[in-house]
Amino acid sequence: MPNPLLDRAADLGGTLLNRLQGLKLPGVGTASVSDDPERAARRWRAVTVLCSPADVRVDDLPAPLVALGSLVEVRVTPAPGDKGTEIAARYRATPSDEELGRLRAALRASKQLLETGEVLRMDPRPHGERKQTPQGRLLDGVVANAKKEGVL
Amino acid sequence: MKAVTWTGINQLSVEDVPEPQILNDHDVILKVRRTTTCGSDLHLLSGYIPFMRAGDVIGHEFMGEVVEVGKAVRERKVGDRVVVASFVSCGNCWYCRQEMYSLCDNSNPNPGITEGLWGQSIGGCIGYSHAVGGYAGSHAEYVRVPYADVGSFVVPDGVSDDRALFASDAASTAFTGVDLGGVRPGDTVAVWGAGGVGQLAARISAIVGAAQVFVVDRLPERLEQARTHAGAETIDYTTTDVAAELRERTGGRGPDVCIEAVGMEAHAPGAHGVYDQVKQQLRLQTDRPTAVREAVMACRKGGSVFTLGVFASMVDKFPLGAIMNKGLTLRGAQVHGPRYIPRLLELMERDELVTEHLATHVMPLSEAPRGYELFKEKQDGCVRAVFTP
Repeated sequence: MPNPLLDRAADLGGTLLNRLQGLKLPGVGTASVSDDPERAARRWRAVTVLCSPADVRVDDLPAPLVALGSLVEVRVTPAPGDKGTEIAARYRATPSDEELGRLRAALRASKQLLETGEVLRMDPRPHGERKQTPQGRLLDGVVANAKKEGVL
Repeated sequence: MKAVTWTGINQLSVEDVPEPQILNDHDVILKVRRTTTCGSDLHLLSGYIPFMRAGDVIGHEFMGEVVEVGKAVRERKVGDRVVVASFVSCGNCWYCRQEMYSLCDNSNPNPGITEGLWGQSIGGCIGYSHAVGGYAGSHAEYVRVPYADVGSFVVPDGVSDDRALFASDAASTAFTGVDLGGVRPGDTVAVWGAGGVGQLAARISAIVGAAQVFVVDRLPERLEQARTHAGAETIDYTTTDVAAELRERTGGRGPDVCIEAVGMEAHAPGAHGVYDQVKQQLRLQTDRPTAVREAVMACRKGGSVFTLGVFASMVDKFPLGAIMNKGLTLRGAQVHGPRYIPRLLELMERDELVTEHLATHVMPLSEAPRGYELFKEKQDGCVRAVFTP
């Protein structure tokens, strides 16, 4: 049976993870200033893939990036020191948090496809009774959003 | 199937759960033959490692028999008796190709959590927090092993289940510390912690040629094992000033390499132990770094300190000045299992590395909550509780 309180807790978990990435507490983490929201949203997001630049063509990208269509621009460059190929992407217009999350997930999935040939699946996985508590649903929200969040 | 689940802080249960399935082509399904408690599980139990969900199946140190293989698996087949690395590694990213397997780019499906905590995501780990993937663990009748060609290893016929089990995590973690800590022939090595990892770090240090090995702990039965099975000299920190003792026994130099195998819930006698415990319980620091601090102070000038024990985030009162001014190298890592498991199995086959003595308590899976109680409270001389699903 739907429980609005538990659903709200799950939503809050996802939002919290998003907010925590940009949180800077005195004495914890970096000491520099934070980007203004416009600059932060417009930064290139990038992954380095262990393959030759010849294996990644802008006109033949992995499906997760293709799915974002013309909303994003993509550049492919050799990584220094034999570390492979850098794939970077950013939205042409200022994106929402949700759009940025989709881009992060697409970059990570593209890297997995190029390096391992498949995207790692996790569910269904064995587990015991999931107590439907606000704390538990909060964590569910965090985990559900963990592919789309982070500093990438 | 039966499985051991985390149901809340200091609460475990044995439940009926669905069996795992092949989800990716590189997976195998393993019928678990042996699975053991690990000190890092205690941080989950105590609630110091966050991102646990009630119902999670725990356990990450295990071996068993392959019963099903995915269609892209090339090196393993049904019927193989294998030991499995605790961290999951794809084998194809830059980190895996550098043999830094626990830093795999592709095996943690929840990278956003650890990127937020540490600036970068590390690899996934079987049967641990959702911060490292939330994989279902090995304290079960069956477990899914992703990227099985990379992380599972056939056990030689001459190596028993009880011995091979510890190649999965304890011995490979120990080897990680010895190797990356830079132990060389003729070195003096001091190891803090006489649990499974600490004892094996002492033994492996001797195998690679250390001239003198010390183990520091407070539990007499564990110190006795370190003397008997690792050939180490031992120091009880509750009765002896460790740094003074090490100086006296090393010609005033201190150890060349100090390996910390204790982690975030280190005990310490006296006021500073109380101070750290209170700060941790008030969440004013996440970790108690007592043993690391002592290792830094005891290490010889220009030496190496390696943190093998698990730490989550922040500590305070850390002697950074000693590290800088004494020219120390401070390094840490989670276990790079596939880098060391093949060599460990060779050492085990030649009887140069024995581990059976660590399994002080062997019991069926149904008794796992009691096994963890014995292990956590160090009751009845428990070093490791091993479950036989």
